[in-house]
Amino acid sequence: MNLIEMKNITKDYYLGETIVHALKGIDLKIEKEEFTAIWGPSGSGKTTLLNLIGTIDEPTSGDLYFNEKKIDNITDNNKSEFRNNEIGFIFQTFNLIPVLSAIENVMLPLQIKGASSSKAKKEAFKRLCDVELEQYVNNRPDKMSGGQRQRVAIARALITNPSIVLADEPTANLDFKTSNSIIEIMKKINKRDKTTFVFSTHDQRLLDQMNRLIQLEDGQITG
Amino acid sequence: MNQWIKVAFRNIIKNKRRSFVTLMAIAMGFTAINLFSGYTHNTYEGLRASAIRGSGIGHLTIYKKGWNKFGKSDPDKYMIDKDEIGKIVKIIEENDSVILATPRLDISGIVSNGRNSTIFMAQGVIPSDDKTILGAFFAAQPVTGETLNDKKEYGVQMATDLAEYLGLKPKDDAVVMAATLDGQLNALDIQVSGIYDTGIDAINDKFIKVPFKFAQSLYDSEKADRIVVLLDHWKNTSIAQSQIMEQLKNAGIKFEIKTWEELSIFYSNVKNMFDMIFLFIFSIVLVIVIMSTVNTMGMSVIERTREIGTLRALGLKRRGVNMLFAIEGAMIGFLGSIIGAIFHIAIWFVIYILSPTYTPPGSSSPVPLHVDLLPGNILFMVICMIFLSLIAAIFPARRAANQNVVDALGHV
Repeated sequence: MNLIEMKNITKDYYLGETIVHALKGIDLKIEKEEFTAIWGPSGSGKTTLLNLIGTIDEPTSGDLYFNEKKIDNITDNNKSEFRNNEIGFIFQTFNLIPVLSAIENVMLPLQIKGASSSKAKKEAFKRLCDVELEQYVNNRPDKMSGGQRQRVAIARALITNPSIVLADEPTANLDFKTSNSIIEIMKKINKRDKTTFVFSTHDQRLLDQMNRLIQLEDGQITG
Repeated sequence: MNQWIKVAFRNIIKNKRRSFVTLMAIAMGFTAINLFSGYTHNTYEGLRASAIRGSGIGHLTIYKKGWNKFGKSDPDKYMIDKDEIGKIVKIIEENDSVILATPRLDISGIVSNGRNSTIFMAQGVIPSDDKTILGAFFAAQPVTGETLNDKKEYGVQMATDLAEYLGLKPKDDAVVMAATLDGQLNALDIQVSGIYDTGIDAINDKFIKVPFKFAQSLYDSEKADRIVVLLDHWKNTSIAQSQIMEQLKNAGIKFEIKTWEELSIFYSNVKNMFDMIFLFIFSIVLVIVIMSTVNTMGMSVIERTREIGTLRALGLKRRGVNMLFAIEGAMIGFLGSIIGAIFHIAIWFVIYILSPTYTPPGSSSPVPLHVDLLPGNILFMVICMIFLSLIAAIFPARRAANQNVVDALGHV
C-alpha cells in the first residue's frame, strides 16, 4: 500500500510579475518502510516537493494522498494535527528551540499532542538514548556540536512514532564523519522501527545508502 | 502548558537588555499609578473626614422644604421651629445608623472690640454635640483657651486671624451685632473662650463658633436653619438618607435632605480634579505599557520567525502560537508589576519614615504627606497590567501565528 501518493502535482511561485514553475506535474508514490532520497541540482524543486509531502506548503494543483486519503484540502488545524501525528521533520539547520535543552526540544512534539510532561520526558530520554545523546540531555543547543544538534533533531522527529520522516538536506551542514554517523542512525531506525524516510539531498554519501532514488530536474521527475 | 510558560520565561530572560527596559517601563508606570492612587485615597479619606467631621456638616443635613431656594430672602418662613426640631430629632434618632441629630443656626453680622469692627460669620452649635461630631478633629484643632461649653452661653470660639485683627485674647470681651429675623438690630456681649485655626485660610479672618442658644438669641428666634445628622459610617449615607426621607414622609413632615457629598463642594472639586489627573497618568502608563510590550513582542516575533515555523511544522496550531506569545506578554506584565510593587512598597516606606509635609492650596497650615498602601489596588493593578500586556501581545502574536510555515522556516 502506498503511504504517499502524488497525482499531477504542480507548484508555482510568484516573484513580482514572474511565475516560477517549481514543480511541473509530479506523479509519485512512496511506499511504507522506504529509505528514499529525492536528489537533483539546486533549484530543481526538492525542498518544495518535501514541503508539499509534509503539508507545510500547498500545491497549486494536483492531489496528495496519505494512506489513500486525500490530504491537500484539509483545514489548517487538521494539517497541524496530521503533521504532529504522522510526520517527523529534520531540517538542514536543525531548527532546535534555543531556549530549551536537548530533552525539552525532543519532548515538544509530544507536548503539542497533549502528553503529560512526565510521559514526554520518559519518551524523549529513550529517543535521545537511540541517538546516543544520553549524556547531553540537559544541554542547550548552543552548547552542542552540529552533529549533536542534528541527532537531537532526529530524536525529536521520531518521538511521536511518525509514519514518515522528511529530512531536508540533513547532512549539508555536517562534516564527513558526523554525516556518516547520522546516516547510520537513521538507517538503523528505518530497519528497526520500519519508519519511512524521505530525504532531499545531493550528498553522494547519503545517496549511496538509499534503497530508492528519485531524480528531480527542473521541477520534473527524471529518474 | 508548563512547557510554554518555560519557553516564554526563558525568552524574556534571553533578551536581557530589551526585557529590562520593558519591565522597567511597566514597573515605573505601575509604581506611579499606585503611589498616586495611595495618595488620592488618603486625601479623599482626609477630605471626607474633614468635610463630615472637621467642618461639622455631618453625613446628612435636613432643611425645611424650600430653604435652599428661598431661605435667604425669607429665612423665618423656611427655618425649623422648636416643636419641629424636637419631632424631627426624635424620628431621626430612631434610625439604627444615626449617632446623633443636632440643630444648627448660621448667623452673620458685625463684631466689635469697642474700637474696631468687622464682619463675622458664625455657626451656632450645641457644644456637646459639636464635640461628638468633631470626633478626632476635636483634638486635632488646638484651641488656645477653652472650647465651647454648654453651660457658658456667651462664650465663643474665634478664628485666629479675626481675633488677631480685633486684638482679642481668651477671656476678652467683645460685642456682636446682627439684624434679628424681624429686621431689628440686636447686639449681644460675647466672651472669647478660645481662639483656634479653622484650617481654612479663606474664613480664618471672619469665623466664630458660637453656642446654638446664643445664635438664637442674637436672631431673637427659637428656630434652627438645619438639622445635622451624624451616622455610624459614611458608607451608610445613601441608605440612611432614603430611610430618613421615608420616616419623615410618613410623619407628614416636608423636608429636604442633602448628603455631605452634595454640600462639600471642595471635596467634590478636589475629587474630580484628582480623578482627572489619575485618568491622565493612567492613560500615559497605558500607552507606555502597550507600546513597550508591542515593541518587545514585535521584535521577538521577528527574531523567532524560524522558531515559529519549526513549531508549526511540528504540529503547533495557530492558536498555540497565539497562546505562546500571549503567555510571554502576560508574563512581561506580571514581572513588571511585581518589580513595580516592590518599588511602590519601598517608596511608600521611605515616605512613611521621612513623613514630609506640604501646604495644600486653601490650607492655613502644612499637612503631612501620607500615601496609603492599598493591597486591593495593588492586586487590581497587577491584574490590569497582565491584561494590558496580554492585549498588547495579541497583535504581534497574530502576526506570528498567521505566517506561512515555509516562509517562516526560510527566514534568516
